[in-house]
Amino acid sequence: MFLAYIDPGLGALLWQAIVAGVVGFLFYLKKTRQWIVSLFLRMFGRRRKTGTGTTETIVVTEELVPKVESKTEVR
Amino acid sequence: MLQPSPSFRDPAGGCCSFKGRVLRRVAADAVPEFEKFLQTNSARQFLERKQFVSSRRLDENETAVLREAPELESFIATPATGALYEHERIGFPSYPHEWPPEMLWDAGRLTLELARAARADGFGLKDATPHNILFRGSEPVFIDALSFEHRNPGDPIWLPEAQFVRTFLLPLLANRRWGLSLADIFTTHRDGLEPEDVYRWCGPLEKFKPRTLSLVSIPTWLSRRTNPNDRKIYQPHLLANTEKAQFILESLFQRLERTLRSFEPAVRKASTWSNYMATHSYDDPAFAAKEKFVTEALREFKPARVLDAGANTGHFSALAAQAGAAVVAIDQDAACVGTLWRRAREQKLNILPLVMNLARPSPALGWCNRECPSFLDRATGSFDGLLMLALVHHLLVTERIPLAEIFRLAARATSLLLVAEFIAPQDAMFRRLTRGRESLHATLDAKMFEQACTPYFEIVRSLALPGTQRRMYCLKRRDGAV
Repeated sequence: MFLAYIDPGLGALLWQAIVAGVVGFLFYLKKTRQWIVSLFLRMFGRRRKTGTGTTETIVVTEELVPKVESKTEVR
Repeated sequence: MLQPSPSFRDPAGGCCSFKGRVLRRVAADAVPEFEKFLQTNSARQFLERKQFVSSRRLDENETAVLREAPELESFIATPATGALYEHERIGFPSYPHEWPPEMLWDAGRLTLELARAARADGFGLKDATPHNILFRGSEPVFIDALSFEHRNPGDPIWLPEAQFVRTFLLPLLANRRWGLSLADIFTTHRDGLEPEDVYRWCGPLEKFKPRTLSLVSIPTWLSRRTNPNDRKIYQPHLLANTEKAQFILESLFQRLERTLRSFEPAVRKASTWSNYMATHSYDDPAFAAKEKFVTEALREFKPARVLDAGANTGHFSALAAQAGAAVVAIDQDAACVGTLWRRAREQKLNILPLVMNLARPSPALGWCNRECPSFLDRATGSFDGLLMLALVHHLLVTERIPLAEIFRLAARATSLLLVAEFIAPQDAMFRRLTRGRESLHATLDAKMFEQACTPYFEIVRSLALPGTQRRMYCLKRRDGAV
């Protein structure tokens, strides 16, 4: 592989690295949120009733729970 | 004539134009990666959309024939050369210093789209400069096929980001904020604007506007407070978690796309000449007669490649394109050229619009003045049709170019047809330009115009436009006129 030959800048490269650090932290926040949501759904993700007495349908997608093998519709 | 391409800086290979062919030399170490990239979904998809240049590997026989050419000796004989490829030729070459902001914006959009698509295939775009793009008519085409390399999936940093900011985002910002033309920027700054350059132009409040803060101020402050000799900054920081690295990279591309979208040039308001079609000095019958005259000349001579000089918003460029010609339309007013680019895109007209003053055509630039040949060098021999409508009086009056010189240049630019319009000094538009210097042109008349063109062109026919001080000429270039 050839080494990059373009000028990567100085301040711009540092700024990209700082933003990358922040976004990396957001990545863990996102993963944690996904884990909590999936845990919550595993525990309570069956049919549940709202305060008005109607049935609420929860659609679980792969985006929310990456480890669920297929899209699951809980009714 | 052998011309090195803008990609000769890349240690993985180089490019040159030879007898109308575009040849690429790829270093032996880079050949497998290059071949692999050409087989990726992203390369195929963009090739299908005609937004990526096509490449064909030359076999041994073809390479052996090229090795015989003395002009290619230093190009091919480089020790590291592994293979030769031939690319398709993309129309008339143009450069960022000749584009309106709309075209630079569109080139930036394609660059980011390709970088994101290649990332999905495990490849990275290793340089992000508008010099990687040519326009086929109004459509951008990525030509530097060697700009892709395999990426380490754990690398969260895109090194060319700073170059993308320097060459796309900051020029668009400077154009929008301070009205700097792309010619002003790229003629003197091949690699765009440094954040430090733009920082100096910003007022105290401007420095804290969100886009300026992120693209200009923070990078400037950081570079001032950092030891430039600290090599750790440039060492790759690979992450063990590749999913996290890809998340960071995708987020970077999304941010760049949002920023680019926010710099999309707005539809221009009126400039000095953008309302010319509505405010010119002829009435409808005269304009219809002019249109008919041009259409008939195009029909009779059937030029395949037309240069429309002083195209304004491209009414006659469109006529030529609809007649089947590939048109290069030039005008010095960037607003007019931007409007024409939008029209050509919408109506899918084969028109390449460029910001250019024929009296000061863009010069040769780059290393040894050979990286970007001058406009006249590229134009010579490239056109068999030339339109000079409502232009000659600008060259005569505003630029003080003698008539004979104008026809000498016209004969260099076209190999066959010239459609020119003579405007007498009594015309309202002519008088607007003279600004009290009418006496300088008191002797100018149609006879003098015809005498000046005769050494270079034969007059096929002419037509006085009814109710005006104007006359149309259909001229055929004399053999050996230049």
